[in-house]
Amino acid sequence: MKKIILLALVFIFATAMTCSAHFVMMYTPETILANGGKITVKSVFGHPFAASVTLDMAKPNAFFVVNKGKKTDLLGTLKPITWQSRENSARAWETEYQVKGMGDYIFCLDPVPYFDQTEDKYIQQFTKIIVNNGGLPTDWDAKVGFKTEIVPLDKPYALWTGNVFRGVVLSKGKPVPYAAIEVEYLNHAPNMELNKFAEKAAVQAPHDVFVTMTIKANANGEFTFGIPKAGWWGFAAISSGPDKKLNGKELEQDAVIWIQAQDM
Amino acid sequence: MNKRSAFTALVAVLTVLLLTATAFAHIVFFACWDNGDGTISCEGGYTDGSSAAGATINVTDADGSLLFSGKLDKSGELKFNKPAGDFAVTLDGGSGHSVTIKGKDIK
Repeated sequence: MKKIILLALVFIFATAMTCSAHFVMMYTPETILANGGKITVKSVFGHPFAASVTLDMAKPNAFFVVNKGKKTDLLGTLKPITWQSRENSARAWETEYQVKGMGDYIFCLDPVPYFDQTEDKYIQQFTKIIVNNGGLPTDWDAKVGFKTEIVPLDKPYALWTGNVFRGVVLSKGKPVPYAAIEVEYLNHAPNMELNKFAEKAAVQAPHDVFVTMTIKANANGEFTFGIPKAGWWGFAAISSGPDKKLNGKELEQDAVIWIQAQDM
Repeated sequence: MNKRSAFTALVAVLTVLLLTATAFAHIVFFACWDNGDGTISCEGGYTDGSSAAGATINVTDADGSLLFSGKLDKSGELKFNKPAGDFAVTLDGGSGHSVTIKGKDIK
């Protein structure tokens, strides 16, 4: 009997782990620009490695960009789009932004908590990507003030394949010791014109543990990840945020950051 | 090798390392963008995030003739009217650290 209960528990945990790999993806083709220009940023809620089910994203609570310490509200610039994954299509968002001036542009998304019926809980992933114009480092290592966020220790746009990416997981501005972090590779290239993931996968995972990799931060809330392949990698610190309940249900507040690595 | 010559060697190595680091730190970042109102803005800065305030900017035409010259302001920026034909913008960073951007690459 005990064995059966144990097996059931293991099964529940395994299922929960598989389900929890939801990721808010923010994407623009190039994170390092030479001379500015108009860029498009897409925000999609789904599963980056498998490009499986995409989830409807409500209009976010906040969407803004930080450059040279100045925060600019971009919520009004968001346009709804329909994003197609390999299994379905769902509501996503895009914005066009004219990059003028050098430095780091931190695009920040504070989404409305998403109610996941399977897991019977809310998920809210505070997400950011950093685009640089001209190389001048200005804001990449700054906090943007989310309830929970990953602050990079390496420039997310200046990484060779094989470099490490390091970050600090923060909750209300304070490090989260031993935070659990999920890491996923953007395995199906996004098509910016058709708003869909490519059918073809870049890599095959030998096991599900490589689809959503789980790593831990150290006692200071810092984590390190060696980048094995060029492209986009997403990092989600799970339940690192301070709020745990919403409408009487469990609330999972995650901190997400995306990086782009390039081959030498 | 006695202690003194070992020390001298160490100092020499450290000096070389320090000079190398300084040389790298002098890399100038330079970018220009089209303001969409008939003007171009340029900005210069350094690896540590500081601005290249005071650096000279030269705008030349296709033949290399000088059209305009100015200096980056205290925030490291300079705005000028967009020339009609082909042009190039050069930041004179001194001691071989000049950077040139072609007009057609400015978006």
